[in-house]
Amino acid sequence: MAFNRRWLSVASIAVAAVVMMAAAPPVRSGGVNFGDDSDSNDGPSYFGFVRDGDGSPVGGARVTAAPQAGGSLVTRSNSMGIYKIPGFAKEIDPKTVGISCAKDGYTQSNVLRRGQADAKDPVEVDCTLQKQ
Amino acid sequence: MKPAYCLIAAAFFFALVGADPCRAQTLTGSVASADEGAMEGVLVSAQNEGSPITVTVVSDGAGRFRFPDGRLSPGHYALRIRATGYELDGPQSAELGGATADIAIKLRKASDLAAQLTNTEWFTSMPGTAEQKRPLIECMSCHTFARIVRSTYDADAFVPVLKRMAQYANNTTQARVQWRVAARDVNDESVRKLAAYLATVNLSRGTTWNYELQTLPRPKGRATHVVVTEYDLPRQTIAPHDVRTDRDGKVWYSDFVENFLGELDPKTGALKEYPIPVSKAAFPAGTLDLEADGNGNLWLALMFQTGLARFDMTSKTFKIFPLPGDLNDDAMQQSMVMPGSANADGEVWTNDVARQSIMRLDLKTGAYERIDPFAFLAKGHTHAPYGMAADPDNNLYFMDFGGEAIGRVDAKTLAPTIFPTPTEKSRPRRTTLDDQGRLWFTEFAANKLALFDIKAEAFREWDVPTPHTYPYDVFRDRNGELWSGGMASDHVLRFNPQSGMSVEYLLPRPTNIRRVFVDNSTHPVTFWAGNNHGAEILRLEPLD
Repeated sequence: MAFNRRWLSVASIAVAAVVMMAAAPPVRSGGVNFGDDSDSNDGPSYFGFVRDGDGSPVGGARVTAAPQAGGSLVTRSNSMGIYKIPGFAKEIDPKTVGISCAKDGYTQSNVLRRGQADAKDPVEVDCTLQKQ
Repeated sequence: MKPAYCLIAAAFFFALVGADPCRAQTLTGSVASADEGAMEGVLVSAQNEGSPITVTVVSDGAGRFRFPDGRLSPGHYALRIRATGYELDGPQSAELGGATADIAIKLRKASDLAAQLTNTEWFTSMPGTAEQKRPLIECMSCHTFARIVRSTYDADAFVPVLKRMAQYANNTTQARVQWRVAARDVNDESVRKLAAYLATVNLSRGTTWNYELQTLPRPKGRATHVVVTEYDLPRQTIAPHDVRTDRDGKVWYSDFVENFLGELDPKTGALKEYPIPVSKAAFPAGTLDLEADGNGNLWLALMFQTGLARFDMTSKTFKIFPLPGDLNDDAMQQSMVMPGSANADGEVWTNDVARQSIMRLDLKTGAYERIDPFAFLAKGHTHAPYGMAADPDNNLYFMDFGGEAIGRVDAKTLAPTIFPTPTEKSRPRRTTLDDQGRLWFTEFAANKLALFDIKAEAFREWDVPTPHTYPYDVFRDRNGELWSGGMASDHVLRFNPQSGMSVEYLLPRPTNIRRVFVDNSTHPVTFWAGNNHGAEILRLEPLD
């Protein structure tokens, strides 16, 4: 079990690194301006893991990120239980962004928000879903 | 003629003149070339002198073709063919009298292969990275790649050309160029980057291209089992954008560059045009989205003329819903309208292209309200609410054509929800909602057809078989098959999402397709679209 925890921890860091790179706001076509978008006004992106009570990844979970200021963004966790969400407007304080997870047959039992070393760092929020 | 009499008459006719009176006269024949012998997948088109209607069939595996019985009336028909790499050697025309005519069509090698390439084939042929080629998907909106690859501009000379083009209205065609009144900002660095790339794929360094020209294979098998009918419109400037049929079988279209709503009688090819009042004479003309409301009336998004128009199908008159002066500035543009569920709450959805936002019209008061569904997202990213659909409660679903998401706006609270597509940089474009609550849409930049289940809030995506097709729109028919077309490939895609099987029907001419429509009342179903750059309406009838 200790091995499993250590492996999970190492895997989490590795996956987090990949997610941090992948979660960077994508460059999009700028239409007839032939240009690329700017990410200079982005707030931090979000990512996390959706797991069940045993620590196994839960894929296909509905992950909702909802700033208190209004609006929401809905995405899904992948087969490894990972989700990622691009940054919101810079003015939105990440602490005011609620993250919740749901999937048929499960109940959300815990949402763990990890600290940021720097305000620009991606925000990690992990969900635990218990089988009903 | 009753069968028994017919058989007797047939016996006499066969004996006397070798013709079968039970079958209407038609045109049949064979297609061959010196290089290939009998050729499959050659499109053979026939247009009666003076008629706006051209009918096209495709040669089969034995090189034989046959026009449907009774489709061609007696007359003098001009013939044309489409088979990449070949041109028509002869005959150039055919006489069709009271009996079936059988002709032998000969093809010779094309003298100018490059002139036959589609945008898809240029995309495939040109060297360069996906990132370098990506901006070119904007060019197809106004012209084919022929203008680019045959140009002789070097990178420096390209820069002012690109900057000038950015100031054209998006409802511009080569037949009718329209300038924006409000100037658009252009990013110098991006323009220079694109100019440098284009100068590597055009004729700035020589008299021919320094890369091999790639072509798509000719149709074969099921892709030859089709009849295509083209209806020429009377002015080259007419740019049919959205096309749909009504319950009487009449075909209606929005004109992208002129202020008319068009009504075509597909039986005769006769056209009626209903002039739409011009409210801003100095601004680009034309309309884009054409949608029906719950009462069967048609709605148009008035583009730079701004606001919305409702066309009463009984009185054949327009009611215009203008924008108030404080909203109606020089950049204002409505490209989309969604009146489909207006009977639920008396509201019609539209968009404000310049401000990347949603608008909603109150039918009782005529007032518009603006909703910014991206207000909470990071700034500096391109968004563009585009294709729209409304569920029965009039909640709005829209495509973020500038980005990579589907959006929802709640009809009661106006709260926005953003659903990013699984594929990044997908640029969802047009959509329709089926009766099972599923949004079918195209991911234009990702070259995919896609589905969003609004109940499960889950996506599915399918790659379009041919790379660089860039599907503009998709329509699900009554059999569950998807029909799609776009601005690049001159093909209509028929795709079965259950089996993954697809058929790609080549069209007779360069065809810039926007909105697609399927008439489910026919057997088999009938596909309709406009040729936005070719002043024609297109009907495609699969034979299976």
